[in-house]
Amino acid sequence: MIPGEAQPPALEILDPGLLLSVQDTGRPGFARLGVTRGGAADWWSLAIANLLVGNQPAAAALEATILGPGVRALRTITLGLAGTMPARVRGMSRPVEPGATITLAVGDVLELGPATGARGYLAVPGGIDVPLVLGSRSTALGASFGGLEGRALRAGDRLVAADPGRALPPIGWPGAPAPEPVDAAHPLRVVPGPDARDLGAALEALTSSSWTVSPTSDRVGLRLEGPPVQRGRALELATHGVVEGAVQVPPDGRPIVLGVDHQPTGGYPVAAVVITADLPRLGQLAPGAEVRFELTDTATARSALAAANDVFEQARSDLREAARWDDLWRDVGR
Amino acid sequence: MTAPALEVVPFGDAAVLVRIAVAGGIEGARRARAVANAIESVRAAQAAIGEPVPAAGTVLVPFDPLALTTEQAAALIEPALRLAADDTSPGSAGSHHEIAVRYGGEDGPDLEAVAAETGLTPRDVVDLHAGTTYEVLFLGFAPGFAYLGELPEALRLPRLATPRPRVPAGSVAIAGAMTAVYAHPSPGGWRLLGRTDAAVFDAASSAAARLRPGDRVRFVPVR
Repeated sequence: MIPGEAQPPALEILDPGLLLSVQDTGRPGFARLGVTRGGAADWWSLAIANLLVGNQPAAAALEATILGPGVRALRTITLGLAGTMPARVRGMSRPVEPGATITLAVGDVLELGPATGARGYLAVPGGIDVPLVLGSRSTALGASFGGLEGRALRAGDRLVAADPGRALPPIGWPGAPAPEPVDAAHPLRVVPGPDARDLGAALEALTSSSWTVSPTSDRVGLRLEGPPVQRGRALELATHGVVEGAVQVPPDGRPIVLGVDHQPTGGYPVAAVVITADLPRLGQLAPGAEVRFELTDTATARSALAAANDVFEQARSDLREAARWDDLWRDVGR
Repeated sequence: MTAPALEVVPFGDAAVLVRIAVAGGIEGARRARAVANAIESVRAAQAAIGEPVPAAGTVLVPFDPLALTTEQAAALIEPALRLAADDTSPGSAGSHHEIAVRYGGEDGPDLEAVAAETGLTPRDVVDLHAGTTYEVLFLGFAPGFAYLGELPEALRLPRLATPRPRVPAGSVAIAGAMTAVYAHPSPGGWRLLGRTDAAVFDAASSAAARLRPGDRVRFVPVR
């Protein structure tokens, strides 16, 4: 197949589940135009799904939310599954756990189950072929551009894989297929935010209570339910740039954790910021989940990120090794 | 003029917030823009520094936390801060835009209330809003959403106590000392004076955002 040549569609969406969209690692560098980075809410799982089918970690894949979608294969194709949704080929009894490839024959239907976290990722060989908009194939759901026609996927949509015929061995990710879940024993780690000092006891209130993710949460932000946080000195700040993971305290005292589709600027004071290493875990939080915050410092945050990076690179290298052995065995058997 | 005090505070483990110690408004936005531009030139030699995000008197500077500590990132941008924070010039002359607005009625459901609260007639509100040339201070909130300033004193009101769940695209709105055009339908707490058919954001065009920081904007009433 000539790269770049138009391909017939490889997958048809039968049911999008709660929210299904095309996502890659987003479009950095346009915040000055009001465009947030966006991309996969859990970039760790996106990378795993992609690596399983031989893609670059940042390739465009499907992001499914809470309730899994159903897709039909329009050609023989191997998919990579990661995140927190198991899958099942209709008619087969054995479910496929995240962190594995699935090869579908023409007409096979793959159904993703309800998420144990919030999101499942399904990658196709070569990535999903939709146009690059401002340097990314991610769907900007709020502003309606990128992805497929700038919108969430619906039943009947057909998706093209950039390199669908690539032969791939059945293979498993040699590590965890999703970030460590957040629960009472495994809190989200935060560092003090830029307004922590002016917010008085807000940071302590945030880290000493248990919070529940509200049903009104989405990719833009997670609203937390719990005892309202006192804001200390009343703050009305001028609009300033914000980051994913910023924990804002609005006047009603109900914290908002900014998600991957957050606005590039905001005006609420920021009491704490989730560390970079824990952002994929934030992306796996669903409404109803219980959240605790643990205060750490930037040095610990850095070493946590470096450690996560090492674990990922080790697994990536093990995967390459396993794929090579698989090739060797295939050659021997020929 | 003496250099205003600058404060660089950590914003998580992968960004710092530069606070330029002046009030918001045009001066703060200009200083922030000058600082952001100076940081852009630092980035040319420092790939670990991310794209700066200027706003009203602040600049957010993201960095790669695997490559730099917060202290190292702050040290890298320090010379740029000292150089630029004093700069309140409007910068290079931007484009001039005229945006046709249908004021009042269904297009501007808050016009009457704004008139009542400011003690003006609706006609005065329109004349004041359309009689001012605004500067694009910075973009944020949503793709192509340009904060325009400054609004005449007589029109300055706080945001609505309860934001609307949905503001139509093209709505021309005011809040505090700013005015703006909603590029996309979205929730919003600004007061709606009118509506335009002008597109302010097109992701498919290379420029994407029609209104750029430093540009000048005038609203032209139509009916």
